[in-house]
Amino acid sequence: MERTEALLIADLSEGDETALAPLIEKYKRMVYRLAMQITQNHADAEDVMQETFLKVYRSIRTFRKDAAFETWVYRIAVNAALNFVKRRERRQESTIETTAEAEFAVDLRYRAAHASDPHVHAEKAELRRYVTAAVSSLSMKHRTVVILHEFEGLTHAKIASILNCSEGTVRSRLHYARKKLRTLLKPYVDAGAI
Amino acid sequence: MRLKCQKTQRLLSDYIDETLSERQMKDVALHLNTCRTCKREAIDLKKTCYLLENFYVEPEASDAYYARFAKTLQQRIDQRAPTAFHHHVRGVSSRWTWQLLVQVRRYIDRYAPTGFISVRQNVLPYYILVATMMALLAAPFILKLVPSGENGEHALGHLYAAAKAHMFSTPVPVSRQPAATLAIQQDTAMAQPAEMRRNVSRSRTTEAPTVNSGSDVWQFTDDPVAEGYILATLRTNSKDTLPSVPLDIDSELLTYVELPSQGASWEYPTAREVLTDGRYTFLLLQGIQSGQHVLQQYKREWSQLEGFSKKLLDVPLETLSITEVYDSIEL
Repeated sequence: MERTEALLIADLSEGDETALAPLIEKYKRMVYRLAMQITQNHADAEDVMQETFLKVYRSIRTFRKDAAFETWVYRIAVNAALNFVKRRERRQESTIETTAEAEFAVDLRYRAAHASDPHVHAEKAELRRYVTAAVSSLSMKHRTVVILHEFEGLTHAKIASILNCSEGTVRSRLHYARKKLRTLLKPYVDAGAI
Repeated sequence: MRLKCQKTQRLLSDYIDETLSERQMKDVALHLNTCRTCKREAIDLKKTCYLLENFYVEPEASDAYYARFAKTLQQRIDQRAPTAFHHHVRGVSSRWTWQLLVQVRRYIDRYAPTGFISVRQNVLPYYILVATMMALLAAPFILKLVPSGENGEHALGHLYAAAKAHMFSTPVPVSRQPAATLAIQQDTAMAQPAEMRRNVSRSRTTEAPTVNSGSDVWQFTDDPVAEGYILATLRTNSKDTLPSVPLDIDSELLTYVELPSQGASWEYPTAREVLTDGRYTFLLLQGIQSGQHVLQQYKREWSQLEGFSKKLLDVPLETLSITEVYDSIEL
């Protein structure tokens, strides 16, 4: 019989390591998406995933049962990813290299999306690439809020809880991020390509 | 831009998400119906959100990647591999250490002697020179700090004494060498001293000498120097009475004896007599207790120097100049 998430969490907190695999299976894609979009780096994303699930495994006893497990995992993943980015910036890596790496990552995603749909119109393919690159060019704070809200579909309250800030801050960041994106995507917005 | 437009545009994002209160939604909608600029702004934002929702490509990894990830994670859990925090701490510590070393190097370079051999280029020889000097300076202290062995003998002290005896001993006739020196050599080098002792014993033609210490007399036995011990018998001037001076005042007795010359008899040394090189030596006797008239065995204790040095204060200065029997470094 398949165990529910609550039962898996209870078992894991009691030391049953077999409960970890189903939880990883459920959240691995979400954590990878978050890590990859925030760090813009494949190697860092893998490290973030490792750190996230290690933290889940080691700190499961501190998880409050009244909170949402999903939000808890989000918080761990986002914090781990942000820490990796901060550490990378502290290492004073070249901005050019980081940008180039991000562009390369976007290009890979574009090519993957294009390959999966060979009949897609070239213009739409280019638009995907453009939109993805625009999101990647946002600042880390704005990008994080956009990812959590637009793509993960989290509410302002949940995002505020994950980022440990107020809802007003989340709304403000989201507003400015959208304005920035509107500016970046202006050719497509004005041309009515939609 | 009117004030109302500014307020409205701040709410546009929430208006699109429909997260405003009912009243705010109505207010914004009313304003958008009357303001073309704000309406255009709202439409553009909606289009932007649509673009994000429909054209943004989310990253995705293959199943093989996730399988590899799960395997690596399990290995880390099993091995309790260091976390990112450990890596961070290790990175920070190594970075700080490196910076510290760089600062030290800069400091050395700044104060390098001009017109002299560069410290930076010849740093290794300087280190070796300084280390050697430090070792030589610290050697005597280290020898004293090393604890004694079970027999009260000093492992390093043995080597030190042997080296000292070898360096300071003068080539004098065997019959005229100090007894204590002979005894030390007996302990450190077991070959010659036995022969020397036999020489001393054979050279004795009369009865053993005595040391007059006030009313008490210490008489050495027929074989005053035995294996590691000095044998002496305590006598008093009056055989039936105890010594007038209690000998347990001090735990040790310092005396000296004149060695007989070749073929001569034991002499009776007198206290405080000026000693000459090669003729006298110290005999440190310890563990004296009151009323012990029997034959005593006293072990030489060169390591317990505190009482030894106090007693030496009563000895004429000339005595202290004899390197064979007294070495200031030892004290």
